[in-house]
Amino acid sequence: MLSVRNLTLQYPNGKRALADFNLEVKPGELVVVLGGNGSGKTTLLRCITRTLAPTGGEVWLNGTELSHLTGDKLRIARMALALVSQHASLVRRRSVLSNVAAGSLGRHYNMWTAIGGLPSDELQAAYGYLDEVGLRDLARQRAGTLSGGQAQRVAIARALAQKPKAILADEPVASLDPEAAEDIMRLLRRLAEEENLAVLCVLHQVELAYSYAHRVVGIRDGRIEFDLPRADVSREAVKRLYISEAA
Amino acid sequence: MSADIHLGRVKPTVSVGGWGSALTAGIRIVGLLIAILIIVQALIVVEARPQDLISGIHGMADIIRRSVPPDFSKLHDALWPALETVDIAIFGTLAGVIMAVPLAVLAAANVTPSRVMYYLARGIIGFTRAVPDLVWALFFVTAVGLGPFPGGLALAVHSIGMLGRLFAETIEHMDMAPIDALSLTGARRIQVFTHGILPTVLTSLLGISLYRLDENIRSSLVLGFVGAGGIGFQLLTAMNLFQYREVSLLLIVIFVIVVAVERLSALARQRLA
Repeated sequence: MLSVRNLTLQYPNGKRALADFNLEVKPGELVVVLGGNGSGKTTLLRCITRTLAPTGGEVWLNGTELSHLTGDKLRIARMALALVSQHASLVRRRSVLSNVAAGSLGRHYNMWTAIGGLPSDELQAAYGYLDEVGLRDLARQRAGTLSGGQAQRVAIARALAQKPKAILADEPVASLDPEAAEDIMRLLRRLAEEENLAVLCVLHQVELAYSYAHRVVGIRDGRIEFDLPRADVSREAVKRLYISEAA
Repeated sequence: MSADIHLGRVKPTVSVGGWGSALTAGIRIVGLLIAILIIVQALIVVEARPQDLISGIHGMADIIRRSVPPDFSKLHDALWPALETVDIAIFGTLAGVIMAVPLAVLAAANVTPSRVMYYLARGIIGFTRAVPDLVWALFFVTAVGLGPFPGGLALAVHSIGMLGRLFAETIEHMDMAPIDALSLTGARRIQVFTHGILPTVLTSLLGISLYRLDENIRSSLVLGFVGAGGIGFQLLTAMNLFQYREVSLLLIVIFVIVVAVERLSALARQRLA
């Protein structure tokens, strides 16, 4: 279970990017966060992964509070939290298989992995993760040769190699065509349900949220406007999130 | 209801002619005068005397006449020093690369573990680059004696500075997204380097290293002049003994080495691109 309690990020100029934010994502659940530009969606994910230090509140993942961890404790805690970003962020000159297996590096610290090697059992397991995302045939291909949709699937396979408890996806379909975007969202939902993962996904595409989310969270000016099951989210409520931004 | 639209008088935003253009012309004239001044002072400082060049043309013609035909009977004696020259460059480049890579990581602002390390690495890179390879050769000849080894050491140390700066710049300009993604998986710093940074910049680093090898070949020719081995030492000896036919042969050998390495290095860089 991923749990955010009273999370606050206040900049030195007094502006609050997040204000007393509360959110829970249960295992097996895909929660989509909607909101306009600058509403605090990405800031929320960055505070959860601690690439930004929140000024208040707590982030809990399976009984561990993350917001006050530093150094090696933070590194270990992050292993349970996989991030899939807008751009797949693969090492372009390495093979797809190596990119996926690299997700397991946090669990394997020895001379072999320190000089650039990958554990053979993790390379074998990586084939399995590529199976999950339907790209086993491309295992030996260079990551730089993949299409945007394929690269994003590989990034998800790398996230699985991490063996995480939760996946955070920051606009994972923003640079994809509609068909590839549907594929990725379908995959994230399937992984949430079949792998019992808590998936928190920031999106701009409202229709995808309606199609794939278990729950939708609307956010505006760093505050939650609504947190409802997908079926209960009205078009008007979503519209208000974006009207506010234009005004 | 109709509304009158009054456009008013539009003022030109850029003045044409008048004080603006006079000022621009003035700045150009001052710039030109400064450039002329710099060139003239350079001619004075180097004591440039074109008339001496013209009067010395007979001496040069005499040397050229005494240099032909090249003495190919000495070719056999030139082969070993030629190989030594190439090997000094290979050793110097390889050792330079090995030492420059970790220094470059410390000296790259986006991946350095600490500011102290950053400034320390930048200092070492700056110092080894600032001291010419010839001076390093003199230093190592004193330290380890005559021969190719001090030449290789000199090139290695000087290469640290040249390669370290270029490697660090390459790392600073790389896409950080894959590196950040790898860090967030829980990988340790050394793993992020070997699995993320190195594969990302490896092609560029190899290209720079090949270019450096090309430069080091040329440098290793001169290092022989101070006793640091290679064909340069043989060239200096032949010149001192006025053996100009041998000098011309050695210059042909040097030309072949330089062109061959230059072409091979260019081909290899093309393949890497």
